[in-house]
Amino acid sequence: MNWQAARAMLLSEARLLSRNPGVVIWTAVLPVVASIVLGAIPAIRKPSDDMGGLSFFQVYQPILVFFAITLLAMQALPDVLTRYREMGVLKRLRTTPVSPGLLLFAQLVLILSVAIVCMLLMVVVPPIVGAPWPQNPVGFVVSYLLGAWAMLGLGMVIASLFHNAKVAAGFGSFLFFVLQFFAGLWVQRPTMPDWMRHVSDITPSGAAVQALTDSATGDWPRVLHLVVMVVWGAVMSRLAVRFFTWE
Amino acid sequence: MGRNGPGLHGTVIAVIEVSHLRKSYGERVVVDDVSFTVEQGEIFGVLGPNGAGKTTMVECVGGLRARDGGSIRVAGMDPAEESVAFRSALGIQLQESRLPDKMSVDEALQLYASFYPDPHESGDLLERLGLVEQRKTYFAKLSGGQKQRLSVALALIGRPRVAILDELTTGLDPVARREVWDLLENLRDTGVTLLLVSHFMEEAERLCDRVIVIDHGRIIAADTPEGLAANVQADQRMSFVPSSTFDVALLEALPDVRAVTTSGERVVVTGTDNVASAVIIGLHERGIAVSRLRVDQPSLDDAFVALTSEEQR
Repeated sequence: MNWQAARAMLLSEARLLSRNPGVVIWTAVLPVVASIVLGAIPAIRKPSDDMGGLSFFQVYQPILVFFAITLLAMQALPDVLTRYREMGVLKRLRTTPVSPGLLLFAQLVLILSVAIVCMLLMVVVPPIVGAPWPQNPVGFVVSYLLGAWAMLGLGMVIASLFHNAKVAAGFGSFLFFVLQFFAGLWVQRPTMPDWMRHVSDITPSGAAVQALTDSATGDWPRVLHLVVMVVWGAVMSRLAVRFFTWE
Repeated sequence: MGRNGPGLHGTVIAVIEVSHLRKSYGERVVVDDVSFTVEQGEIFGVLGPNGAGKTTMVECVGGLRARDGGSIRVAGMDPAEESVAFRSALGIQLQESRLPDKMSVDEALQLYASFYPDPHESGDLLERLGLVEQRKTYFAKLSGGQKQRLSVALALIGRPRVAILDELTTGLDPVARREVWDLLENLRDTGVTLLLVSHFMEEAERLCDRVIVIDHGRIIAADTPEGLAANVQADQRMSFVPSSTFDVALLEALPDVRAVTTSGERVVVTGTDNVASAVIIGLHERGIAVSRLRVDQPSLDDAFVALTSEEQR
């Protein structure tokens, strides 16, 4: 890889992102503020039988952590990539000695970085106001990274299948709500009917949220959930590489 | 139009060699047995009506599209291999390619410079392209002509030996078009070889050393712009105001005259190359003088229309 070009591309994309901060702010502020507020209210930190013995905070922190990466991967990523394709930026890069893949790489790095900063804020700030730390940090980080891989892969597939930026954004929004449903944003996983929870187990968002929850409460993520995330990540990456086009 | 064609330098080096190039999309043949060579330092025009296959042809030459048959060498390399050396030797300005709205001129040049082993100093290029005052301007705020000049700058930043410029001035107003033409004339002395795709005959007449005309994917003419205009069988057209009225049959009887029409007091005559002198002498013999004379030479435009409409038949 041409490191000089990779560095220049990453800087350039970061600068462009800082000039259009709307998407990132919108994505980051809601879940970060929500998790800090939830962590600060003592009643929400008490375990509840309705939530399978977990506190409201313990149920919602992983959902909110995953909310940010899902939103970035379903909306920001396909939006910017399909627009670059429409504008002919990717095709123009093809005429140079570097591959347009370098631009995809820069975007993935940037979006993952923003997501990780959001995740850190949601993990580090609530303990300052009295909420618990994740009890198994290694499990938490591994679960987060595998879940992020599956989400970014899915975002790349959207950018591969849809060539119109507006259509891609619309489909991304739809998928975001489906994923958030199975992650338990509206019906929390412990309160889902069994059949629904089984479906949720094999979705990338359901598996990721459960793996994060298990890690936060001191357990190791279950093998099922790790396998589900790896399969989604691998299949989506493969599809994206196969179907992504520069024009 | 003084051309410092490669012939003057004694040696002739072919920088682009295309032979028997073929490309089809499904059943539709878009490029059909196209062969030509472009020499070092030439400005070579690829002309043709919209949809003639020009862009597909140059995209094959530029290594952006896979060909179905024939061979292409650009600076000795096969574009199909898409090697880094090939991408460094060839700059391409694509039709309708934009940049992010909030990327400035300077930032775009610095970014693209980082892709090449030995890029131009961006300051020099900006000066040559007349973009110095716009260096901090965002892409979205540039005028159409400035955007196109920046696009040319990005195609040239890596010091390519060959640059392909596709429909560079389409959609520009006449002033902006002239700005871009001035720029290309200045590039002539840098020794870069230019492959210019256009459907503007005025552009080709002004800039190109040699042109090919493509229609329905095939080369239908290859010559200098002057040669193309001269060879065309287009009629010469003259018009004038006679000093007194006369019978037009008088002129129609002349062998060089093809048609005579009148519009108001003006008489319009078309015919062969000799039509003007034949008419003036013929009228003079009968004591009729000719005033406000106009004679139109067949232009490259006429040649183009004649060539491409012959194809339609």
